[in-house]
Amino acid sequence: MHVEFLGVPRQRAGVSEIEVQADTLGQLLGILSARIPSFSDLMNVDRLHSALVANLNGERFISDPQTPLREDDSVLILSADAGG
Amino acid sequence: MPFGYHGSYLRIDVAGGGVEHVALPEAVLRQFIGGSGLGVRLLLDEGAVHAEPLAPEAPLVLAFSPLVGSPLTTSAKFAVVSKSPLTERINDSLVSSGFAIAGKGCGCDAIVLVGRAAELSVLIIDEVDVDAGGKRTKVRLESAAKYRGATCRETEAGLKADLGAGYRVASIGPAGENSVRYATISHDGRHAGRGGSGAVLGAKNIKAIALRGTQRTAWAHPSELTALSRSLSKRSFGPATAKYRELGTATNLLTFNRFGALPTRNFQSGRFEEAANISPEQLNATRSKTRKSCMACTIGCEHIYGNGKTGVRVEYESLFALGSLCGVGDSEAVLRASERCDELGLDTISTGGTIAFAMECVERGWLDEPWLRFGSGDALMRAIDLIGSREGLGNLLAEGSRRAAHKIGNNSIAIAPQVKGLEIPGYEPRALQTMALGFAVGARGADHNRSGAYEVDFSDKVDRRHVTLDAVRHAIDTEDRAALMDSLIICKFLRGVFTDFYCETAEMLRNVTGWDVNAEELRETAKRIVSAKRQFNLLAGWTPAEDTLPERILSTPLPNDSEATLSRERLDGLVAEYHRQRGW
Repeated sequence: MHVEFLGVPRQRAGVSEIEVQADTLGQLLGILSARIPSFSDLMNVDRLHSALVANLNGERFISDPQTPLREDDSVLILSADAGG
Repeated sequence: MPFGYHGSYLRIDVAGGGVEHVALPEAVLRQFIGGSGLGVRLLLDEGAVHAEPLAPEAPLVLAFSPLVGSPLTTSAKFAVVSKSPLTERINDSLVSSGFAIAGKGCGCDAIVLVGRAAELSVLIIDEVDVDAGGKRTKVRLESAAKYRGATCRETEAGLKADLGAGYRVASIGPAGENSVRYATISHDGRHAGRGGSGAVLGAKNIKAIALRGTQRTAWAHPSELTALSRSLSKRSFGPATAKYRELGTATNLLTFNRFGALPTRNFQSGRFEEAANISPEQLNATRSKTRKSCMACTIGCEHIYGNGKTGVRVEYESLFALGSLCGVGDSEAVLRASERCDELGLDTISTGGTIAFAMECVERGWLDEPWLRFGSGDALMRAIDLIGSREGLGNLLAEGSRRAAHKIGNNSIAIAPQVKGLEIPGYEPRALQTMALGFAVGARGADHNRSGAYEVDFSDKVDRRHVTLDAVRHAIDTEDRAALMDSLIICKFLRGVFTDFYCETAEMLRNVTGWDVNAEELRETAKRIVSAKRQFNLLAGWTPAEDTLPERILSTPLPNDSEATLSRERLDGLVAEYHRQRGW
């Protein structure tokens, strides 16, 4: 699936997007932590730190690690604190 | 008197009517705390609801708080509260830094200004030693003739050079002198930005307030307060504030664009094709950058980008308002425009919103100013200068988009990007519908600082493009928390570090004041402050019809996102439920 980083996650990842294979959100986050060491600072065990959120296909926000993902999904990872 | 307070406010009639310390009962302080809450209460007591906002008798309140001067991070802030000349409703703006500490150091919890000085003046508030080691406040006016027309930065630097570096200065630019209805009051490069408090100060013929004070209030539990402050500071270095520290608010730009929530060309679209050009990511790659903090702040959210010989502080709201909203994708032009607004003392959101509205009026043939086109950086700069001086078209645009629409006619009010007269910040309401509710019901108009409902839209609590009545309680919660933070006062950029907001803020207040305040009391206090703002508006003539959004938002879907529609029926339902839950 396609993973897009915005804001601080993009800064930490050093790239704006990558392709990853994962069946669930938890699995995806585990892969990202392993592949991008600085990304693990943004994790809280198997979830994103509360300062971050994940969004599925630009539509709904997801947080449950068991959330199933499909190969053609696009996952966005961004700062939860969207305001300014 | 509780710890953390002086127990009085300083009331100054700048027309020469005298200076007095007016006692503040402890019950009032406990009910309204300080900052915005105390400011609204003082305005009600002063009968400000019935005054024309730019009349001499209209009071302007600068309110400090019990936390000012404490070691709690981000607590060096003050509120500027008045009836808005833009909305004719309540207006409270927060601004940071040393002026708050020095102002409270003058031995007062607030300063209330009334009257009109005989000539353009600097109001100087100082303290003098008296017998037995005490201090007495001394107030005087000096001519500001030499600062007429000076920018905010020039005025502040000049007065510090004249009076001494120990003085802290809040000033207006040319826009405030010229009664632009969205003029700001500036201090240390930051602005009490929204709603036109700079015009209110200018109408009093006060170019600047310079003050110096060293009186401190004691804390009830100093060791506990110090420990709490250390803990809070430590947490403020963590992931919850990383966005502000590492990138600043400007990083919202690409995020909002990705979600179709970046207002573009006067709210005709939620996506700007040139967003990447003006993003902080692009600015980082092409310009030098420094960071700065307000006094007593551990976050350091100010990101200042090189722009020729000077640096420009870049915030999301300025990038959106002067960039995508006006269709300008040239970063150089947007930075110049932002810098010019700061110099003139103009609210960037209302400036960009009003100019974008005028650009669309030109496009539709309703305004005969062919030079004023979306996408033109030169036109943007020209319009800003005209607004600051109120020359030509600027005289119309200095009134804000609502008043301008009434003069332009053609039902242009339908596309004026405002609520209650205050221009809408950078959150597309059709794509972020909990925020749409927050805008509609906001006491000072469309406002992202008094309602943080966008947080809800960027969460799994609601479907942001199809919100239901369940969103209302979340919107109320963000509004209540904002009211409390603005009264304590602490910076909203800290909000992510709290695990139990009301418990932790109650602990702060207990340690400073000695009150046995708890979370439940602060929940009620927050609601009381929101209700006081509502009461002000009711007395000033508020009607239910004001709690709405522009016709365009409620009748036109966003292009490129057919799901992002917000009908009048749905918004009215949300507003009605909001009023019901508020008990109004």
